[in-house]
Amino acid sequence: MRSEDDLKILIITTLISSYPGANTVGQARLQYSPGTYIIRVPDPVMFPDDFYIQSLKKGIDGIIVMSSGSDCPYEGAYARLSARISRVYGRMKELGIPTNRLKLTTVCTVCKAAFLKEIREMQQAVLSDAAAAAA
Amino acid sequence: MDPENGRLQADVLVVGAGIAGLQASLDLADQGYSVALVERQPSIGGTMINLSKVFPTLDCASCITTPRMASAAHHPNIDLFTMTEVQAISRTDDGFEASLVKKPRFIEEDQCIGCRRCEEACSVFVPDEYDHGLGARKAISIPFTNAIPQYPVLDEEACMLCGACAKACPTQCINFVQEPRSIAVEAKAVIVTTCFDLTPMDAKKEYGGGIYPNVLSPLQMERLLAPHGPYGAVLRPSDGKTPDSIAYVQCAGSRDLSLGVPYCSRVCCMYAIKQAMLLSGSLPIADITIYYMDIRAFGKGYEQFYQNARAMGINFVKAKVARIREDEDHNLLLRIERQDTGEGPEEVQHDLVVLSLGMVPAWKPTPDGMIPLQADGDGFLRLPQSPLWPNLTTMDGVFAAGVATGPKDIVDAITDAGAAAMAAANYVERARRSAPALAGATR
Amino acid sequence: MSDINAVPRTDKAAADDVRVGVYVCHCGGNISDVVDTAAVADALSHHPDVAIARDYVFMCSDPGQSLIVDDIKAGKINRVVVAACSPSLHELTFRKALERAGLNPYLYEHVNIREQTSWVHKGDHERATRKAIRLTAAGVEKVARQDPLESIAVDVVPHVVVIGGGIAGMSAAVALAERGIGVTLIEASDRLGGRVAELPSVYPTEQTGEDLIRELRDHLFVEPLIEVRLRSRVTAMEGHVGKFRLLVTDADGASAEVRAGAIILATGFDHYRPADGELGYGTSPSVMTLPEFLGVLRDGSLANGELRIGQKTVKSIAFIHCVGSRQIEGVHAPQADGKVNDYCSRVCCTATLHAIREVQRRCPDIAIYDLHKDIRTYGRGHEDLYLQASRDGALFFRYPDEEPPVVADRSGAAVVTTKDVLTWGEELEIPADLVVLATGMQPRDISDLIAMRKLPVGADRFLQEVHPKLRPVEMAVNGVVLAGACQGPVDIGEACAAAQTAAAKAAILLSKPVIELDPFVAHVQEDLCDGCELCLAECEYQGALTMVEVQNDGGSVRRARVNPALCAGCGACAAVCPPRAINVAGWTLDQFDAMVDAIVAEDVESLARSERRARSFAPLAVTIGEASR
Repeated sequence: MRSEDDLKILIITTLISSYPGANTVGQARLQYSPGTYIIRVPDPVMFPDDFYIQSLKKGIDGIIVMSSGSDCPYEGAYARLSARISRVYGRMKELGIPTNRLKLTTVCTVCKAAFLKEIREMQQAVLSDAAAAAA
Repeated sequence: MDPENGRLQADVLVVGAGIAGLQASLDLADQGYSVALVERQPSIGGTMINLSKVFPTLDCASCITTPRMASAAHHPNIDLFTMTEVQAISRTDDGFEASLVKKPRFIEEDQCIGCRRCEEACSVFVPDEYDHGLGARKAISIPFTNAIPQYPVLDEEACMLCGACAKACPTQCINFVQEPRSIAVEAKAVIVTTCFDLTPMDAKKEYGGGIYPNVLSPLQMERLLAPHGPYGAVLRPSDGKTPDSIAYVQCAGSRDLSLGVPYCSRVCCMYAIKQAMLLSGSLPIADITIYYMDIRAFGKGYEQFYQNARAMGINFVKAKVARIREDEDHNLLLRIERQDTGEGPEEVQHDLVVLSLGMVPAWKPTPDGMIPLQADGDGFLRLPQSPLWPNLTTMDGVFAAGVATGPKDIVDAITDAGAAAMAAANYVERARRSAPALAGATR
Repeated sequence: MSDINAVPRTDKAAADDVRVGVYVCHCGGNISDVVDTAAVADALSHHPDVAIARDYVFMCSDPGQSLIVDDIKAGKINRVVVAACSPSLHELTFRKALERAGLNPYLYEHVNIREQTSWVHKGDHERATRKAIRLTAAGVEKVARQDPLESIAVDVVPHVVVIGGGIAGMSAAVALAERGIGVTLIEASDRLGGRVAELPSVYPTEQTGEDLIRELRDHLFVEPLIEVRLRSRVTAMEGHVGKFRLLVTDADGASAEVRAGAIILATGFDHYRPADGELGYGTSPSVMTLPEFLGVLRDGSLANGELRIGQKTVKSIAFIHCVGSRQIEGVHAPQADGKVNDYCSRVCCTATLHAIREVQRRCPDIAIYDLHKDIRTYGRGHEDLYLQASRDGALFFRYPDEEPPVVADRSGAAVVTTKDVLTWGEELEIPADLVVLATGMQPRDISDLIAMRKLPVGADRFLQEVHPKLRPVEMAVNGVVLAGACQGPVDIGEACAAAQTAAAKAAILLSKPVIELDPFVAHVQEDLCDGCELCLAECEYQGALTMVEVQNDGGSVRRARVNPALCAGCGACAAVCPPRAINVAGWTLDQFDAMVDAIVAEDVESLARSERRARSFAPLAVTIGEASR
């Protein structure tokens, strides 16, 4: 069975909130699994439905979208993003991809605990899916 | 800046790099004026950067303050001096000269890479003033997570001179013998945006502030509520228990002639309501009660915020709190006189009490006249009376904004700061027009 | 320079135009104690797009930066990746290094292997190193697909239009003119001064509102830079920050075009007008609003220690707070839009107490009753008014929020019935010769202006700022700024502060002949756009994305076009474009796909040499829409 450290969890962060939030975790020297890959973006609203599906198909085990939530500086972007993620869940079901491999959440610049919790939960989700598939 | 003789020329000297000082500096620098921004603390960001969330938007304070701090720190038109105090300001032929003293951090700032290895190596713990004594920090430390600049400060009082930090430092930037440095700033105009202190915890002895461990100041509660706070949760300092019942005592430091603070501090109603809402989010089963005289939710969106808090089940009780005592388990017994029921005085128990302290000026002009401004009876800087010019002081060319001129919330301080920047810019323009030879003399 | 582990590549680097230099920082052990930085550089040297990969003890130091500058100047590389600390610390440092070496600063990618790698994976050197390699490879993939970017230049008209000639508009105009900026001040009525001019006395100077306005007008009229247009309205508005075009129409119907780089809205407020019969208003002759009462104080009815209204000498006055403010659904009748005024009007408590003080000073014998929910004398010195009014005998009653007082007319005199919380809910009857309703503020009806630019309006119907805490006078429409009570209730000093802050924001925009905007805006590659218009529905920024006719093979086709001065760069459009013709410059979807490929790849060598789509983010032309007139 795969270790959580060998997973490839893609963490999509925003320039204004969650990317600095991930830095805060680092400054506090809090430890988490190296199976995590953080990319930054002005706003995740720019990713099409297919980006998530294709990334999961390519070999990404789980995607956490850490949005800016109510701190989002772009008009209407958060509503569009959450509508899109709901649609992607629909397509994931059609394709037989467990929907818990994609999570939309909000992480702020100092949300250390929330950041770590999301990673832990995603690891558990991915590993339990893998175990279920193997069984 | 001429580092050899410690002189700097700037269009405007801004004193204080809290949110008002940052805003005033940015509003000047973005217009092309050069700014010398002076902050006596090791980080810019003032009180706001260490709040949990702000009313009425419930935005994370750090998330909205940090970008503004970074803009000011990186702005090509702003020279930033932290750990620096203004000793004197005097008028010159064409403006002002200010003498500053930069206190030693015992770090060579230009070599520090902000890695905190010194902090890890240090074995001396002292109470953390940014957590208002609730947490601990090292004797050498970067003041708080999102401090700007990210340089540590060596606490001269606490340091044991063991040298562990110097050994750990990859760039050998620790300098135990660093001396204070004098800097002279020539400026055409000055903006004063000095900050506030809370009224003392122990000002009203009958409330037990500073004595009972579970009587907190509002800034301590801000830290407990912050996601990067000292305990990572809201817990009672006395025993680490999750509180089930929390009380706010409003006007615990304002509207009280006996304290010499007869005025309203403007922010206490709103921060209490905000904290109550955040508490009811993180402690859903806790009872939260606010004892108040008048709820002053006067700003944009504030009344709606207040009504939401009432709808959420926060108890608002119009009552005077006569005194607080503590039982053997450090629970707090509040003797209150309800004004809305006609029943006599009663005693109610709470696990945790927050005293909604008021605002007093952190800096006042001193009689020596080194900074020749005048304060009013309330201790804040005296303004001319006309509402047309909200930022003039008693000294021509010196402007004031933010809580330097009386209690204000963040948005009012920011608006005030922008106006001060405009007034200073126009003063600089007038100076240039009357002395055309000097036009363009700035960097 | 023993710290340098240079792995030069000679085979195919010269053959292609993408030659990435990779620099891995040790951060004096902060990174290299956990991440094998030499191994990262070595692995990246096998990337097909990488020409040079080095590691060094402190990349941010002068010698570290010189490595990059020298490699660029020697022609070895034309794109740069630095794997080091957080970009918030040194992304700008390295961009500047690229600039010094003559390379476009955006051909740079900063990879964070400190805060997000070495500091958080201390116990697992091997996996931390592997992660650092993958992230750095992703950075290479991104920068290999990066085009040079230029900031967007918008020419600026050095002139401001201020709409509204009340105290806020006047104050903003004066501040701008002193700064040397020309202003057109547009006022719908035939005089300047707005609501303030109506006030009999102003706190704390106690001069009349008219005197206060005169003081400001004296500044205004000596400024040759201010053009005042009375009896005029804005009838059309278009353009964008730096270059707005407004049509100003006067009372005779004559129109003129005014161009401006920024617009300040200072359209003010209206007093709440009680409904017929609300608290006896309009039905009882003894009931009037606070503004009407202030008119009485001004017109001389109060003289010789006596207040006469009509034939009657007033011996008692009841003031009722929160009329038209802090309304509660189900208790108060809704306004025209179906909603109640649930906001606090901020100024009425102090204004009421100020009026009470005036009465107490001039007619000490008049009995004063004050009926309130809360007394909100928050401002500097305002609490004193409350204390003094109380000391001089005014009686204060607190009515429950949900049970406002009732006013009845009883044989020519008013009787106010109220519950008083302060006496435990006792019901009181207060006979009063005069009842004064402290009416709140409502936004002036400017629906025509709002419609012209889709200006954001809050639930309270006041104009809405972009951020109620941090950006209180700016609007989501860049270049349009708010001043005073059009945004929400404020007192005179606050209106002047807001106006001068608004002036500062306008002055920032106009301080240079050209506004430089970030290059990170959407960009359409016209040869890929098929004119499907899906992007239009996604765009929240009016005018940022439009369809234009483009000549194509002799025919005409419709293509999306971005106005970069209006685009915020969120990328909502990019997500829905089937052919990926639209992208945010610097953050293209191809870049992100390639980054994911690098993260999932087994090793760096297996990554193909990047196939770059021809893209151009050359400086975009900023166009102002052709006038429709």
